[in-house]
Amino acid sequence: MSDNHPDTSLHEPDQALHVEDLTVAYGSVTALWDIDIDIPPSVMCAIVGPNGSGKSTLLKTALGLVKPVAGHVRFLGRPVRAMRGQIGYVPQRQSVDWDFPITAREVVEMGLYRSLGWLRRPDARARARAMDALAELGMQDYAGRQISQLSGGQQQRVFIARALVQDAPILILDEPMAGVDASTEAIIIALLKRLRDAGRTIIVVHHDLTTVQSYFDWLVMMNVRVIAQGPVREVYTPENLRATYGRQLAMIATPAGDRDG
Amino acid sequence: MAELLSSGIVQTVLMGAALLGAISGMLGAFAVLRRQSLLGDALAHAALPGVCLGFLIAGARDLGAIMAGAFFTGALAALVMMLITRRTALKTDAALGIVLSVFFAMGIVLLTHVQGQGRTASAGLETFLFGQAAAILRADLWIMGGVGLAALGVVLALWKEFKLVSFDPDFARANGLPVLPLEAALTVLVALAIVVGLQLVGVVLMVALLIAPAAAARQWTRSLGAMVALSALIGAASGAGGALVSAAQRGLATGPVVVLIATGVVLISLAIAPERGLLWQALAARRARARISDRRVLATLQGLAAAHDDTHYPAERGMLKTALGAMPRSTRLEGLEARGLIRSVTHPPETTPHWELTSAGHREADRLARKTRAEGQDP
Repeated sequence: MSDNHPDTSLHEPDQALHVEDLTVAYGSVTALWDIDIDIPPSVMCAIVGPNGSGKSTLLKTALGLVKPVAGHVRFLGRPVRAMRGQIGYVPQRQSVDWDFPITAREVVEMGLYRSLGWLRRPDARARARAMDALAELGMQDYAGRQISQLSGGQQQRVFIARALVQDAPILILDEPMAGVDASTEAIIIALLKRLRDAGRTIIVVHHDLTTVQSYFDWLVMMNVRVIAQGPVREVYTPENLRATYGRQLAMIATPAGDRDG
Repeated sequence: MAELLSSGIVQTVLMGAALLGAISGMLGAFAVLRRQSLLGDALAHAALPGVCLGFLIAGARDLGAIMAGAFFTGALAALVMMLITRRTALKTDAALGIVLSVFFAMGIVLLTHVQGQGRTASAGLETFLFGQAAAILRADLWIMGGVGLAALGVVLALWKEFKLVSFDPDFARANGLPVLPLEAALTVLVALAIVVGLQLVGVVLMVALLIAPAAAARQWTRSLGAMVALSALIGAASGAGGALVSAAQRGLATGPVVVLIATGVVLISLAIAPERGLLWQALAARRARARISDRRVLATLQGLAAAHDDTHYPAERGMLKTALGAMPRSTRLEGLEARGLIRSVTHPPETTPHWELTSAGHREADRLARKTRAEGQDP
């Protein structure tokens, strides 16, 4: 990462997430081109865009999992390596092997590994915190279950509990509503709104345009480049949707929120 | 048997094979869960040129030099593989195939070159292809034991980090864990296990000792700790079993017998392990079919009763068959009758068998209907 700012000097500390001039390429394919994004603290922000628009790449680059060709990222003014443990990350559910021999509670405890430090195993306190996080998502009765025996929605809730248990000021979720049942979606959204109201910043890669207006208060629309960003009511316009999705739009949604056929 | 066990050579081979099985079983569990089983195969094959180089440099069949050489080329192969997958468009399987065959080819070339020199001491080198258990010395056991203890120590010390890196490396990285060094540590441990196993099992079959115990253990266990422990146990048992069989029967090579025994354990585990075994799943599917069939019979009888405004409406065989599409096996109806949910009755003047729902049957049908609605799917 091209890092011109030392850890100690804060750069754009008033933004929960500040992305500047970010460009990412996989081989000859440009995934992100000259991205500038500012997401203020204590908002619930959706990142939307068509498939292949670089939403997940943006998250991964912000988290330091993918190296950018150019540009930089700051969380509350700091580079991501100075913010480890203060950003809760919920990867896409399909990114792991759900047949791994492990219980739901053990997965949640993984969110505490960093704070436990080397050589220390999760203790009774860690177990209790994991149980609390599971309970927040209505999953306390499944703590001892093998993760392979959980439904898709339950697996997603376990993943979110793992990020929740870190008690991080910033939460980043990659398609948390993909393939989950309606009740799980309602539980997740209620929790995220609660966290937002408590001052956390929630950043969600989202795929369902019909729910953008009811779930989120901040919006980033992108398609390799940033098309528009800002409060949902200002940004969620037919022009921006057309610019983001092009011809696909007619099949997806209209800004009024009602489905098109 | 007692006679066998009193032989010094048999004891050494037995302990060596069991130790090797335990080490590779323990580390193989992580390799299998990380979907890196084939990395072990490539590392094992890539150890062959190192075996020959170690021999050439030491000028004799010195096990220390040979193991160092094997470890060196194995590690080199792992590095090359990493570079290929990161720097080129080739996928992991292609990189594995290339590295495995190129290193193995180099090993064979070196091997034939060494043997062509006609030195008598080089005669034994080809045993590293398929292993030769009888060549194990007491002193080698100390090396194996040392490697085993070291591997166990590292695994215990880095337990939760290995667990997280094996399950979700992206999350580990996002949390600031040094994922690359941790993965490298796991790979180095696997390479060590392979080097230790070369003499006994050989480069060609070594991968089976990594994969088989882990694959078998996964079938029986529900936690990582149990899986790793059981995998080590299965590896040790296969090793000991193979050593005994080949000692009892002249002319059976230990390494391949160990591999066959471990594979046998895998097959049995795949077939009969609870929950994950094929047999278990077939039975579970049958139970599920039976449950669904029971529920449909009860629901049909209840529906007929409601339609006729008669809670104990006797439904005739043909009616049930038409409503259900096919007649449930008579044993299923008897089962329902035995549970007191339906009653077999006659309904003169007709002589065909009829069934009616009992009060308990009505309650059960209501319960199942509620359950189905709540779950939104077939149980």
